[in-house]
Amino acid sequence: MIKAKKKPVQEILDAISRYEKILNVGCGGCVSVCLVGGQKEVNALNAELKVHLKKAGIRKQIDGYTVERQCNASYLKELDNKVPAYDCIVSMACAAGVQHMAQRFSKIPVYPLVNTAAIGVDKDLGMYEENCRACGHCVLGYTGGICPVTRCAKGLFNGPCGGTNGDNCEISNEIPCAWLDIYKRLKNQGRLDDIIKVRPHMEWQNQSPRTIIQEPYERRYLV
Amino acid sequence: MFRKKNTAGVNSDEIRAILDEKKTKMKLSLKACAHCSFCAESCFLFMGHNKDPKYMPSYKFLNSVGVLYKKKGNVDKLELGEMRDLVWERCVLCTRCYCPIGIDIPDMLALGRRICRSQGVYPQYDKE
Amino acid sequence: MALSHIFSWTFMYDFIRGPMVWISFIIFFCGVVFQVRRFMFLLKEQPVKKLEPGPGKFISRQTASHFAMDRGKTRWFKKGWFKKGPDKKDPDKKDWIVWFTVSIAGVKPFMTMVTTIFHVLLIGVPVFVLGHNILLDNAFGISMVSLPENVSDLLTGVVIVCILIFFFRRLFLDRVKIITGYEDYVFLSLAAAPFVTGYLAYHQVFSNYKLLISLHILSGELMLMAIPFTKFIHMIYMIIVRFNVAGEYSFGNARKSW
Repeated sequence: MIKAKKKPVQEILDAISRYEKILNVGCGGCVSVCLVGGQKEVNALNAELKVHLKKAGIRKQIDGYTVERQCNASYLKELDNKVPAYDCIVSMACAAGVQHMAQRFSKIPVYPLVNTAAIGVDKDLGMYEENCRACGHCVLGYTGGICPVTRCAKGLFNGPCGGTNGDNCEISNEIPCAWLDIYKRLKNQGRLDDIIKVRPHMEWQNQSPRTIIQEPYERRYLV
Repeated sequence: MFRKKNTAGVNSDEIRAILDEKKTKMKLSLKACAHCSFCAESCFLFMGHNKDPKYMPSYKFLNSVGVLYKKKGNVDKLELGEMRDLVWERCVLCTRCYCPIGIDIPDMLALGRRICRSQGVYPQYDKE
Repeated sequence: MALSHIFSWTFMYDFIRGPMVWISFIIFFCGVVFQVRRFMFLLKEQPVKKLEPGPGKFISRQTASHFAMDRGKTRWFKKGWFKKGPDKKDPDKKDWIVWFTVSIAGVKPFMTMVTTIFHVLLIGVPVFVLGHNILLDNAFGISMVSLPENVSDLLTGVVIVCILIFFFRRLFLDRVKIITGYEDYVFLSLAAAPFVTGYLAYHQVFSNYKLLISLHILSGELMLMAIPFTKFIHMIYMIIVRFNVAGEYSFGNARKSW
């Protein structure tokens, strides 16, 4: 799922400094699961902001409301008659949700409260690891399930560079070299052929926002 | 059945206001449900939990939104807690449920979640 | 007072055969129209935005691949890539087989068959049975084509068997029992009553024909009146929703949304 990280409080305070009535919208989807933007976090952040504002002697009205998901318009309907009462919306959803909200409520400013970090896995409670960069062209089958786009700092497709530092990437001693891990795993499975062949590099497809249409619905949407 | 209701902490008027917003659609859908259980196989959680009937989409909405409409919003914290387990533990709102009659099951469960949230009842992802 | 005594009252007998028929049909039609209007009022047309080729519209497609083995096919950065729409091939047999396998008919073939037969005959038998058509002919001079009596007899038996399957399913299958309420049994009996009483009356199983035929007519009327106001409304709901509301399981050009 999408993993995000909360913005520093000062940044949030700067964002809402100009507004008097703020609605903090949480999301019950990915950000709830990664413990950063669900109902509990909305309430906690509102309380925290109120403490900071009280210390500075400012009074603002900050209300919270959590929707099921912010990436689907049908779940934003319930906000339609609440939003006009506020002059600013802050959203704890991932960037996709924030943009969706900003588009639907284009007359009011919408500010994000979390930094969307990655598509990742849960490592432990509260700890997540990025695994995917949504390049649009998955080669995991040939690299033993290790993503060269995400894990290799240079995004190489045909083996390690000359800068490997023992087992690690030349960037840091804490980052293992992805290609070494790929080699080890494929060797275990007896599939080294897959990386011995020279493969063309990743043709980045994500410079422009992509529209994805599932095959059974192509006739419905494509001219 | 004769458990004493503890209505503390639950604002039934608020629940009724939310229920009223979608009253026509929800009540028609609840009435039209033929209790046929054809929706069961379309739920991956039903299939994955050994076809436990408590995971059937119809069971889920009849015992969350159905109960809310039947009781006209007069539920207590305990019932909301049971509903919380039903609509969050037994459903991920993947919206793939099938109904031969065409009832919009995800919408009903989303309404159930919305009502729970309005009363401060929500899932705790940081507790095991 | 015995039931047969009540029904032999001329007034009761005439009332059921006469004005009550009109009343039940009127309630049925008005109720159905009312419910249909309620549904249609809730549905709104949602226009489908068609995507045309143009700058900034990268559509992630499987056909564009960067692997060496795919070189030579249309690449995303080559000109003319957008102009080609998806290959509009006629749906071939394989697609139908796949669709069928994952549909409810593939998942639950026996029950799908039983329920389809039941619903078709539920409407079909009363409309085409000879007895009803004779009555229509006597009353209005018009009638539908009629089934031979032994055929309609057999089909009534089939309906009763289907109802028994539903009944036992509701009684013994856990997954249905858990969502069953008393009203399910009541309405199932109400649906069964016209067929059972009709069969018994036609075959003159009990000596009191008048009683049975009155029960037959009365149960038919009750069922008609119950349709708009109970779960029988699923008959209308299904047609409206599956053909109109856009969704994964909708039929045809469903474009509306709730």
